[in-house]
Amino acid sequence: MISHADTIAMNACLWADVCIVGGGPAGISLALSLSGQGLKIVVLESGGMREHAQTQALYAGEVADEKLHSPADKYRQRRLGGSTATWGGRCVPFDPIDFEKRAWVPDSGWPISYEDLLPFYPQANALSEAGRFAYDADEALGADAPPMFRGFESDVVRTDSLERFSCPTNFGARYARRLQVATDIHVLLGANCTNIGLETGARAVDELEVKTLTGRRFRVAVRAAVLATGGLETARLLLASRNTTPAGLGNEHDVVGRYYMCHIAGNVGPLAVRGSPADVRHGYEITPEGIYARRRLGIAPEAQREHGLTNAVARLHFPRITDPRHRNGVLSGLFLARRFISYEYAKRLNDGAPPSAAVYARHLLNVVSDPIDTTAFLARWLTRRTFAQRKFPSVILRNRSNRFSLEMHAEQVPNAASHVALTDRPDALGMPQLRVDWRYSPADIESVRRMLDLMAAEFERSGVARLDYDRDTLEDDLMRFGAYGGHHTGTARMGNDPRSSVVDADCRVHSLRNLYVAGSAVFPTSSQANPTLTLVALSLRLGQHLARSLGREAAPQTLRAVPAPAAVQDDERMAA
Amino acid sequence: MSGTMRVLVLGGSGYIGSRLCDRLAAAGWATPIRASSRHVSGNGVRVDTTDMASLVDALHGVDAVVNCVAGNRRAIAEGAKALVLACIEAGCPRIVHLSSMSVYGPREGAVRDDAATDPSLGWYARAKCEAEHCMTAFARAGGTAVLLRPGCVWGPGSQLWVGRIARYLNAHRLGDLGAAGDGWSNLVHVDNVCDAIEAALQLPESPGRVRAYNLAAPDSPRWNEYFVDLALAIGATPVRRISQLQLRLDAWLGGPPLKIAQAAFARLGRRAARLPDPLPPNLVGLWERHLRLESPGAERDLDVRWTPYGTGLAQSAQWVREGAPHA
Repeated sequence: MISHADTIAMNACLWADVCIVGGGPAGISLALSLSGQGLKIVVLESGGMREHAQTQALYAGEVADEKLHSPADKYRQRRLGGSTATWGGRCVPFDPIDFEKRAWVPDSGWPISYEDLLPFYPQANALSEAGRFAYDADEALGADAPPMFRGFESDVVRTDSLERFSCPTNFGARYARRLQVATDIHVLLGANCTNIGLETGARAVDELEVKTLTGRRFRVAVRAAVLATGGLETARLLLASRNTTPAGLGNEHDVVGRYYMCHIAGNVGPLAVRGSPADVRHGYEITPEGIYARRRLGIAPEAQREHGLTNAVARLHFPRITDPRHRNGVLSGLFLARRFISYEYAKRLNDGAPPSAAVYARHLLNVVSDPIDTTAFLARWLTRRTFAQRKFPSVILRNRSNRFSLEMHAEQVPNAASHVALTDRPDALGMPQLRVDWRYSPADIESVRRMLDLMAAEFERSGVARLDYDRDTLEDDLMRFGAYGGHHTGTARMGNDPRSSVVDADCRVHSLRNLYVAGSAVFPTSSQANPTLTLVALSLRLGQHLARSLGREAAPQTLRAVPAPAAVQDDERMAA
Repeated sequence: MSGTMRVLVLGGSGYIGSRLCDRLAAAGWATPIRASSRHVSGNGVRVDTTDMASLVDALHGVDAVVNCVAGNRRAIAEGAKALVLACIEAGCPRIVHLSSMSVYGPREGAVRDDAATDPSLGWYARAKCEAEHCMTAFARAGGTAVLLRPGCVWGPGSQLWVGRIARYLNAHRLGDLGAAGDGWSNLVHVDNVCDAIEAALQLPESPGRVRAYNLAAPDSPRWNEYFVDLALAIGATPVRRISQLQLRLDAWLGGPPLKIAQAAFARLGRRAARLPDPLPPNLVGLWERHLRLESPGAERDLDVRWTPYGTGLAQSAQWVREGAPHA
């Protein structure tokens, strides 16, 4: 069932076996996985079915260095489906090495292994609408699939791992009907959890306090509570629940909000490939299930160990868009149209000083002098993206020059100094806003440098390509746009030691019997991979744990049929 | 043939009926009599199932009748009424009646055998509900009536749920439908339907009481999953993501002309096999409906052991690959 929090009586107290705070990909996956097992599940979702400015404004906060991190209310969406309303859809599992304790990466190591999570990845893949759980190119595309570079063989640089793309699926729109039909799930829209109340003795959660923007208040008494509000908001809610514990919940050792990570990302190069452009695959393949998939460059785990690298990948990419010297009409068209593109997707079209009139003129010239490519691109974009249900994932240009830049996406070394904390400024519901102080370390840049050197050596050895990059500007190239947006991880990290982690291997806050965290906040390390697929898998694993531990004591209830369909209740009142 | 049960199978040339007759003939404990509105050879009779006199003739000396008749409203509803009256007149004590999950109406969620019926889902559901009422009347009059309410009956040979779906997939008119294909398929293998019928024929007599059993395999997937699995298994790849708009246009704009063309071909005596299958709008509605048929009674009373989904898929795909004959 889905209803609006304003339909709940003032000061009422609801009851739930499991109350999930946050209806994004983690919360929705968890709720669906718990359904049908005799548990009563309540999902508190702050937003409605669409974006709502006043609700979105609850995300506002401060950023220590605006060059390094986007504003706190960007790259996330406070609505049912959460940030999957605007994500790019890239799905990649973490690698086995990500879970290991790596001596050369301080504070690395998960309390669970890749094998512990593996059983949940196929279902996560299905929920994300990314097809089968097959990320090896041969397995997913067949042995006849063309290689990334014909003639390139290397034990160090791998080109056989794939990234797959979701539609991109908005979990809210896609699974609203399932949530609506489930008689054991109650999704409350417009419901903001503002405090987590503890039992006497402060060993367990007693009640969650809920407020709406219209001034309604009520409580939810719980057997277990799960925070699934994303990497930033989870820390905020833990820190702000300080009635009984002044440092916030789970924060006995000052770990909540620390080790905040995103990804190190930027374009470097050029990579000049020798031979025919036909021997290079830089675009998307379509798997038999109809999923867009693409090869990427990675470093084999053995080589990561040998050279002490963090995990990272590189994708074949086009030249810097803002520089008209690429003489490409499509890229110049994108540059000129950047005002019509959302903040999140236009960010990398705005770099450096404001462009001069001459730069504009050169971009315009590029568009005019490249009419066939530009028109063909627009036609493809309209049919395969704008009007397609499964969207072509990104701009891919015809390769004429065999020259690429490498789009890097790299893990960060966990760093306690990179953190989020509360400010004194309250939001519209009285909750303190967040201050984001994201940091990177020289080790992050150095690892990318050594990865590039390794790749350059392997390309040179094979004779297939030549990779040059400017060592002096590497840090600037990687930090030009600051932290990669949206991948907020690590603020309630998982571990066995309460002195250096917030939750245990079951995602339970160490110091509380029944408070759990779902989502990327628990990742102790950030991998080369985008977080969504793994946070969905981890939520499904948490679902199994909760069903087992709560189900034992629960009186079995069977699902009952519900009457004929009623439209999903929308938040018209909120929009008004 | 004393000692064996004489079973009249109405709709005996249909998908379920013909399979059942073959199985009963092979099993030995029953003697099937194949009844069909079409001409039948061998151990069969031609019966007009809406005509009571024709039915009374066929029911002479029969121990039980299985009603697998498909067709229009008249064949279903009037046929059931005529059958009940004929059974009473001919003294046939038992009817196993193939009903449908459509008797549950537009409700969603989990539905068990004992849920209330609701005839509001179109002419088919109305006819099926009327037919069930006739069976209730038969039980009240002292007969033994067993209602079976299958989901979508599939398996090798199923034109409706394999052959037709495969043709839509090959034409890329069907694929991954997103939310529009998120409903439960409630697939049940034709062998399991036959298992249930055979068990229903041997249930102890229960005059006065109608027993109703849902039939859907508990591991049957959501429609999207079935469509993608079947497409991969028959090589209808890459699977397309079909928009709701395309699906609706196909059903509402493409459907009527195709239906008319089919009827015209039939009138001219030509085979309509080369025409694309129309996409009935009610099918589009079915695919997005979150109805999950639960079948505890079939496991408990009829001892049905469900054919695993993977087995049914492999058999069905093989049938398609071997050139499933057109409808």
